[in-house]
Amino acid sequence: MIELQQLTKKYGDKVAVDGISATVRPGVVTGFLGPNGAGKSTTMRMIVGLDRPTSGTALVNGRPYAASRAPLAEVGALLDAKAADGGRTARNHLLALGATVGIGKRRVDEVLASVGLTEVAHKSAGSFSLGMGQRLGIAAALLADPEVLILDEPVNGLDLDGIQWIRALLTELADEGRTVLLSSHLMSEMQLVADHLLVIGQGRILADTSIEGFIEESSGGSRVVVASPDAGALARLLTGDGVVLTTREPGRFEVRDLTAAEIGDVAAEHGLRIHELTPVTASLESAYLELTRDRVEFTATAQHPARTDRTARTARPATDDTTKAA
Amino acid sequence: MTTTLEMPPRPAETTSTATPTTAHRQTLGRAIHSEWIKIRSLRSTWIGMATVVLVMIGLGSLSAAVSTGSVAAPGDGGGPLGGGGPLSTVLAGADFAVLLIGVLGSLAGAREYSSRMISATVAAVPRRWQVVAAKAIVLAAVVIPTALIGVMGAFGAGMGILSASDAATVALTDDGVLRSVLGMAGYVTAIALLGLGLGILLRSTAGSIGAVVGGIMVLPTVAGALLPDSWDTVLRFLPSSAASSFTTVMSAGDSTLSAGAGVAVLAAWVAAALGAAAFAITRRDV
Ligand SMILES: Nc1ncnc2c1ncn2[C@@H]1O[C@H](COP(=O)(O)OP(=O)(O)O)[C@@H](O)[C@H]1O
Ligand SMILES: [Mg+2]
Repeated sequence: MIELQQLTKKYGDKVAVDGISATVRPGVVTGFLGPNGAGKSTTMRMIVGLDRPTSGTALVNGRPYAASRAPLAEVGALLDAKAADGGRTARNHLLALGATVGIGKRRVDEVLASVGLTEVAHKSAGSFSLGMGQRLGIAAALLADPEVLILDEPVNGLDLDGIQWIRALLTELADEGRTVLLSSHLMSEMQLVADHLLVIGQGRILADTSIEGFIEESSGGSRVVVASPDAGALARLLTGDGVVLTTREPGRFEVRDLTAAEIGDVAAEHGLRIHELTPVTASLESAYLELTRDRVEFTATAQHPARTDRTARTARPATDDTTKAA
Repeated sequence: MTTTLEMPPRPAETTSTATPTTAHRQTLGRAIHSEWIKIRSLRSTWIGMATVVLVMIGLGSLSAAVSTGSVAAPGDGGGPLGGGGPLSTVLAGADFAVLLIGVLGSLAGAREYSSRMISATVAAVPRRWQVVAAKAIVLAAVVIPTALIGVMGAFGAGMGILSASDAATVALTDDGVLRSVLGMAGYVTAIALLGLGLGILLRSTAGSIGAVVGGIMVLPTVAGALLPDSWDTVLRFLPSSAASSFTTVMSAGDSTLSAGAGVAVLAAWVAAALGAAAFAITRRDV
């Protein structure tokens, strides 16, 4: 279990992580999704104490990671696949890290085998490809059989084979009741491995939802683009129970939770003109892109009077998720 | 590279004990073990140490040979190599060895910053002062024998060469000789640790090498030449000057500290560098 409370990190004026509060639960794979520069790595580095929060706290199993008596046995982290001395062999790298918690040769060889690096165990880490470096980093994370795993972009540099392998591995680890947090900037990767999503943009949590919930919300909830010279009047008529309107430009808006037929009927009933009526089914990828782009737009034009509030559908309460049984 | 889909089995210890944290407690001893594996698994460690030994014995022997005239001196006879008695003749390689060990110490401290290994290291040992302590202990454990082999080898070889030519020699049992020889080994070790501390503090191999070399070789000379005589009291407290109080046989009179004070001053430099490194590594982001 990882608990983040108002976690904030500033680099000078730059706010990299902006008051994040979230709980990463055991028993599921939680995907930490956000565009490059969103603050994923910074958040993860603060969880394992590499970077000091400007304010707020990050707790692992109820305490700060630095207070752990057996750090590597508590949290296994892959934060930087290149964080190994190029002059040392893969096996010696793991032996050195394992030694900090009394892990010896037998376990190191086991883990090397399980990540498929046995054949190159005696090769220097400097000669490794990015994918092999990722495997070595994953081996280091698994070394002391930790309850919590934190992997920063672990799929980066892996081939399809490797992606399938890591997917099976993470699912298995979560099924054993461990807490698994992995980051990515690609929805397509998350779709494959994550059960739960924590979407981050510009240092803030944009969504904290199960992946099913995210799919339901983005593609299940239908969206219709309406263009009309009578947009204002039509929008007023459509606004009602659970209907969300989004204005992007004058004379055009998007409607959620109403079908094109329903909108057309309302317009006809009141004699309003419609120039375009287009149902849109969003893919997960575009839903994610829209979510993170909205974040940027929203902060940039917050004062715009004509806008409808579009944060309502992004900020879901943290309790509103479906957690799989551990 | 083949992909195996097998899952890593749990280590036996964790299944047999109540909590994994009791079996896998992180201790200073384990941090030292980890650093020992690191230092011994880098080929550069052993190449560096061998070079230090070779420099001490090689330059010491060469200097002894030059001073007896069996090898022609580059300049007039009795030049800088042969000027200070048999002991300083055979320890002629020590100055260079000290610079070399300063570089090696800096590398031992800054290397993990250039390889980015440091993030894995401090994630494994979050009480980061232990990283500095463990690195210092294993570096000393490697450098002390190296320095002893170097000075004893240089002494034995150099005196052998001198006595073969019937030149004046000293024995280890002569007054102050053993102290100077061991003192030189201690000086070498201290500079290695000073370099280590600066390497961690500055996080840069180039920067820390520059600081060590500058502080040992350039600063005393430049400061001695440029500053008025009244500064001599201050300059005695530089690491190299403090060390000369217990690495030379003849007392240089007022211009150096007493041997005991010299040891204390050098130890203070080492403690300050390592203490600053421990403070910095604890306070800043990796
Ligand atoms: N050490 C640092 N100094 C200054 N800015 C930083 C530093 N580390 C990260 N940042 C900035 O913080 C923001 C978040 O970065 P990061 O956490 O690496 O994002 P992500 O991992 O989601 O791509 C970025 O804008 C990045 O430029
Ligand atoms: Mg990142």
